[in-house]
Amino acid sequence: MSQGNTGPVVGQRSLGGYLLSLLAWIVGVMFFFPVFWMALSGFKTEAEANADPSLIFDPTLEQFRTVTADKPGLLDAAEAFANSAWIVAISTVLCMALAIPAAYALSIKPIGKWKDVLFFFISTKFLPIVAAILPLWLIADYLDLRNTRLLLIILYTAMNLPLAVWMLRSFFAEVPKELIEAAQIDGASLRSQITSVIMPIVAPGIAATALLCVIFAWNEFYLAIQLNTSDASTVPIWVNSAVEFQGQFLAQLSAAATLATLPVVIAGWLAQKRMIRGLAMGAIK
Amino acid sequence: MKKKQSTEPRSMRILLMSMLAIFAVVAAACGSTASDAVDAVEGAADDAAEAVEEVVEGDDGEEAMEEEDGEEAMEEESAAPAGDRSITVALVGNDNIEKMAELAPENFTAETGIEVNFTVLDEQTLREVTTREVGAGGDQFDVVQIGMFETPQFGANGWLVGLNDLAAASDTYDIDDLIPAVRNGLSVDGELYSSPFYAESSFVMYRQSFMDEAGITVPDNPTWDQIADIARQIDSDEVAGICLRGKPGWGDLGAAFTTVLNTFGGTWWSANEDGSIGTSQVDQPEFAEALNFYVDLLNDAGEDDAANSSFNECKTLFEEGKVAMWYDATGAASLFPAEIQADTSFALAPTKVTDNSGWLWAWTLAIPVSTTDQDAAWQFIDWATNAEYHQLIADTDGWAAVPPGTRQSLYANPEYQEAASAFAQRTLDAMLAAPIDNPGTTPRPGLPGVQYVGVPEFQDVGTRCTEQFSAAIGGSVSVDDALAACHAIASEYNG
Amino acid sequence: MTSTSTLSRDEQVKALQKKDARRRRIPLLPALIFTIVVTQTPFVFSLYFGFLKWRGNTTAPREWIGFKNYTDAFQNMFFREAAWVSILMTVSAVLLSVIFGTLIALLLDRKFFGQGFVRTLIITPFLVMPVVAGLVWKNQMFSFNFGVINWVLNQVGIESREWVSEFPLWTIVIVLVWQWTPFMMLIMLAGLQGQSSSVLEAAKVDGASASATFFQITLPHLRPYLELGVLLGSIYLIQVYDHIFTITGGGPGSTNIPFFVNQRSFGAAFAYGSASAYSILVVIAAILIANFGLRVLSGLLEGEEA
Repeated sequence: MSQGNTGPVVGQRSLGGYLLSLLAWIVGVMFFFPVFWMALSGFKTEAEANADPSLIFDPTLEQFRTVTADKPGLLDAAEAFANSAWIVAISTVLCMALAIPAAYALSIKPIGKWKDVLFFFISTKFLPIVAAILPLWLIADYLDLRNTRLLLIILYTAMNLPLAVWMLRSFFAEVPKELIEAAQIDGASLRSQITSVIMPIVAPGIAATALLCVIFAWNEFYLAIQLNTSDASTVPIWVNSAVEFQGQFLAQLSAAATLATLPVVIAGWLAQKRMIRGLAMGAIK
Repeated sequence: MKKKQSTEPRSMRILLMSMLAIFAVVAAACGSTASDAVDAVEGAADDAAEAVEEVVEGDDGEEAMEEEDGEEAMEEESAAPAGDRSITVALVGNDNIEKMAELAPENFTAETGIEVNFTVLDEQTLREVTTREVGAGGDQFDVVQIGMFETPQFGANGWLVGLNDLAAASDTYDIDDLIPAVRNGLSVDGELYSSPFYAESSFVMYRQSFMDEAGITVPDNPTWDQIADIARQIDSDEVAGICLRGKPGWGDLGAAFTTVLNTFGGTWWSANEDGSIGTSQVDQPEFAEALNFYVDLLNDAGEDDAANSSFNECKTLFEEGKVAMWYDATGAASLFPAEIQADTSFALAPTKVTDNSGWLWAWTLAIPVSTTDQDAAWQFIDWATNAEYHQLIADTDGWAAVPPGTRQSLYANPEYQEAASAFAQRTLDAMLAAPIDNPGTTPRPGLPGVQYVGVPEFQDVGTRCTEQFSAAIGGSVSVDDALAACHAIASEYNG
Repeated sequence: MTSTSTLSRDEQVKALQKKDARRRRIPLLPALIFTIVVTQTPFVFSLYFGFLKWRGNTTAPREWIGFKNYTDAFQNMFFREAAWVSILMTVSAVLLSVIFGTLIALLLDRKFFGQGFVRTLIITPFLVMPVVAGLVWKNQMFSFNFGVINWVLNQVGIESREWVSEFPLWTIVIVLVWQWTPFMMLIMLAGLQGQSSSVLEAAKVDGASASATFFQITLPHLRPYLELGVLLGSIYLIQVYDHIFTITGGGPGSTNIPFFVNQRSFGAAFAYGSASAYSILVVIAAILIANFGLRVLSGLLEGEEA
């Protein structure tokens, strides 16, 4: 995979080239602007945030202090972040633990009808979550799982599993058959085939897949608000609770929203190259 | 909140710049074409990110975002500190209620040893959650905040603990002190099913100085035609004539509009002889007249962005002097800053063909029968809604901030009368005048109830119809289409 | 003697193959069983509930009413309206984000100063929590009084507008496109970088124009990536709930199927029986759409089969 310069054709030093570069910058700034504005508003006072847009103001950490303050009895930031971190981490690990063997079985030595099985996984993604919420609620209630982290761990694992199986299968399919055969001829055990031949090749793919799972799990709101209303509530619920119903809340909301998005945004920035690679392989093969 | 103001700005600016710098480094590193470089800076960027988070966290707790002790945190369902007894309370987020949540640890828990976990939700979600929980007998909550709409229904369904005996056994809770109209609205066959935290009617508030300037006198007992005339007269580019709720929701736009509908002679449904829902009356001329009046008034002389405005938005606009009049809950008056209070005058809810049109509403605390600790739940309700709580608020925030509308003793209290002289009597008058048993001109189901129809079906119909009406206010559908759609919605429940 | 030994060898081979097949299936089973249990059980319940008259906000007992919930559903004009909104919302959001994603990918697939930085900027919206995206756009971009959009328009002398109330559907679509364009861009970028540079060189040498190169070489090469983008986008965008919840809260023009179904159950009506019937209808529709989508997917997998 070559890097970024396969693009044609407009000479890089020509006027058109400069204009295109300028255009790219403009588009980039426009796409980022709402996020920038959100972060900026987090440093304003409520009065400044609820006024005509302005870039010049005295930044304050007041809002960040307010939203991260300890609130006894209420959902505070520490609690929400701890809940989200646990739920996202464990569900992602679980998802990988289930998806990697499945992807292996669907690609390295594919079982019969592997396509049907793959289709089944993907087809579950088409089922609307809202259509399942009532039975989910009743089942969770019956099993005493509501308002526990375990419940969201299970559901987020199931939510991300199809995507994970699908993407990982493609990464496994990238492993050249000859390599595995060569290892077999050398008498390598299955374990050493996996650890020394397959894993090094698919590791970046696993990272990219895990990252997507983290993003979707971290950002999930509907199941969380419906099922974990009072305990084990996650970060999206905490952000939504920064919307006040009396008085001004924009600056406070911005501060909370900035904190809530920061972990995933930074992770995404760091891993974007891998994600592109992962999607390229995962997509088509 | 503004301590350290003097030293903060410069350091803040430095911090902001350094954050931007860190961001640029991280972003550039992420974008660099050599992935080795990415790996190399990853660690550094991680540190930077952590540093940012720590800085952002401020001195309130460096550990705040760190995990709790792993295993334990996994097992534990709630992050509540250890205590012998604890209850979980579902609340709606507004100033009065959040004040109570704030006071509870030091004033309630310290005395009783009962820990209180609050779940604060927006009104819409609170209604979803409480109806679902209480109806299904879920044991998630020991105390739920519900309104005057839900209490009689839930009480009659046997979903709530009756409070008469508990109240009688309490030294602090005087049930006979409750304002009779409120108590009646929260009782089924004489049994009280929820305890009012604050109660309110609706009235017109207006900025006296604006009216003086324009030489307008607002009648004490106005008609809607008079109010509409005044609104159109005083409306200008800077100041809107009147603020009315336009945000969807049966408790938002639905409440304000239904009082207009009632006094225009319309109603949502006719009633069968047994008091159940008859047929939709949304297609009747009175209904169309009321909605057209409401939408036209907002278009001609209403606040900007009316379709997204409700109590909160209108309160801000009124305080900022961007609207001259405001028709809404009486509870608003106790929330104004002093200088606004001084410039605010009041008139009763406007009428058309009925004599009174103000609504009656109470936010209340109730105990679902599924609670595991009824005694603790009652102790909490007692604390939060008795006269001593009024004293507590008076001590911390002054008498004018006491949650109004629930107890006669409050209105008999000379200190309150003085502190709240601007609105105390007006509020009481409006509440007593609320036509709770006969709000309109025709028989209707779901009485008592003014600004809603006290049947479970109304939650659905009110929600979806006000979405239509709000869209008509916003201009994305016509009033006629909104009426037709609403008639179809209401007809789904024809008996 | 020979014949028996061959037979037994055949049998042995078969038995071995069977054993091998079973062994090879084992790693698949945990994921498969987990998925079936968690995602399919709820619908078994829904199937049953769909035949009941069951209202969660009354004490009326549950009652078997056969297909009445379904016949009601088919007559409900608001269900049809929601279906229409869903289609409009999904199709326009997917198409727009694929188009913008492709254009931006082309823009970024050339060396220029700050290339990686710009890509980082553009990628960010995809990482933002949907609830946050909705709240920020509603309160800070579209907002009538202090929104950035109106402020910018005012600077050039255009009157403020009430964006969310006037264009409920399109404000939501804008936010969706804002969030999903980066994702599409990532996929397209992956596609562009997978192009063999020798073919492009050859085209250059042959003197092909830029547009000819794009339409005859690049676009056909991107086709599977486009299909993938459409497929993944549709899967996620047809389920949109958070954005509607935070931006408009439903209403004509913005109540899609998920929002509608939620309103039938926990949102307002608590008509659990009827909501379940709607759920089943939605699931049937989803299976039909999925079949179509999977045929596209099947095309994607074909290359490998060969």
